[in-house]
Amino acid sequence: MAKARAIIKRLKAVKNIRKITRTMELIATARFKKAMDRASEATAYTEKISEIVSDLSQADLEFSHPLLEAPKSEENCILLVLSSNRGLCGGYNASVLRNAQIRIKDARKQDQNLSVEVAGKRGISFLKFQGVELDQVYENFDDSPQFDEVEAIADRLIDLYIQKKLDRVDIAYTRFKSVSRQEAVLETLLPIGDLSENSEDADENKAAIDYEFLPTAQEILEELVPAAFKAKLFKCFLDAAVSEQISRMVAMKGATENADEMITDLSQKYNRARQTQITSELSEIIGGTAALE
Amino acid sequence: MASAGRLQFVLVTPEKTLIDEPVLSIQFPLFDGQIGILPSRAPMVGRLGCGILSFTTAKGDNKSYFIDSGFVQVKGSVVSLLTNRAFLPEEIDASEAKSKLEEANTRVARTEEEALSKLKDQESARKMIHMSKN
Repeated sequence: MAKARAIIKRLKAVKNIRKITRTMELIATARFKKAMDRASEATAYTEKISEIVSDLSQADLEFSHPLLEAPKSEENCILLVLSSNRGLCGGYNASVLRNAQIRIKDARKQDQNLSVEVAGKRGISFLKFQGVELDQVYENFDDSPQFDEVEAIADRLIDLYIQKKLDRVDIAYTRFKSVSRQEAVLETLLPIGDLSENSEDADENKAAIDYEFLPTAQEILEELVPAAFKAKLFKCFLDAAVSEQISRMVAMKGATENADEMITDLSQKYNRARQTQITSELSEIIGGTAALE
Repeated sequence: MASAGRLQFVLVTPEKTLIDEPVLSIQFPLFDGQIGILPSRAPMVGRLGCGILSFTTAKGDNKSYFIDSGFVQVKGSVVSLLTNRAFLPEEIDASEAKSKLEEANTRVARTEEEALSKLKDQESARKMIHMSKN
């Protein structure tokens, strides 16, 4: 009965794993819905900000702000890496970390002073294993990042940048394009390249409105640029959270399907093994009686 | 464009849209003082201060929120308020606001920016305390 026993053991193990992956899939689906709702609620703010930016751009003013200016040399840089706290989400972390490593290598080549900040336990342990020094780690970001927490990071980055202690900020995260498409990207957050990149399509129908600016367009801009930066950073965190849940959902769905396949396969094998055993036992008995006669 | 007598009020924070409903009038703090908005106001973009936002809904109820800096955009009949933080008066934690005020009072400001942020923090904490009492 040795072989059949072994198969039964394995079958049980696979069934247990299937239970886990199936549960994870369901949890990820529920969390994805929640994260998605949050992300779509947050877009209202980002949209309004870019609307005001385009309103301001009609006012014929020089867009000058410390956060928009690129420094002459890129000496001190920060790389933010947004990974997940938990595993079982397919290639999600791997692709984010691959991008992060590209940037780290790049910085080493160009002799930049790069400090790496990582959110998510997975990224932290991976980069530690790779021997990368981490200057700041965050484990508090889960599937619903709070604006206050993100704002604290943004404020610190803005301060450093304005004091010229920091010349460039990059972020490695997973951008959410649609439910079926997310991609790991490496983006430069500071200096802010173009503030009004998202507002071009709306230009035509608002050219007629003549706004009153209180106090002045310039002063509003001074406040608006940091706000736009914070909104952008917050969006990165939200995107990462949504993408994490989607990739977990997909990965777990695949795992459950594979487990199902294995279960059918193994039960078939077990039945065959059992049948062979019965047959061989029968033939032994028949052989035994034949010898006695 | 603006149909007379109607005002759509939208209050958004980075996390969610708190209010999107027709109102009769709105009062809120700009960077230099209180402003009131009635229907058919000329378009404007402004910087907000911190303090109390109150508005009268179409049914005639008065509602108020505490807001802390941000922007306002008036366009046609739509008034949009973008703010980092907005909460109801009953959500204010008075003891937390008091400790914040004390912290701001004892902080030593060395540069002009620090002085400005100290003043701002003091003001916002005082307003929070004041609002929680009402």
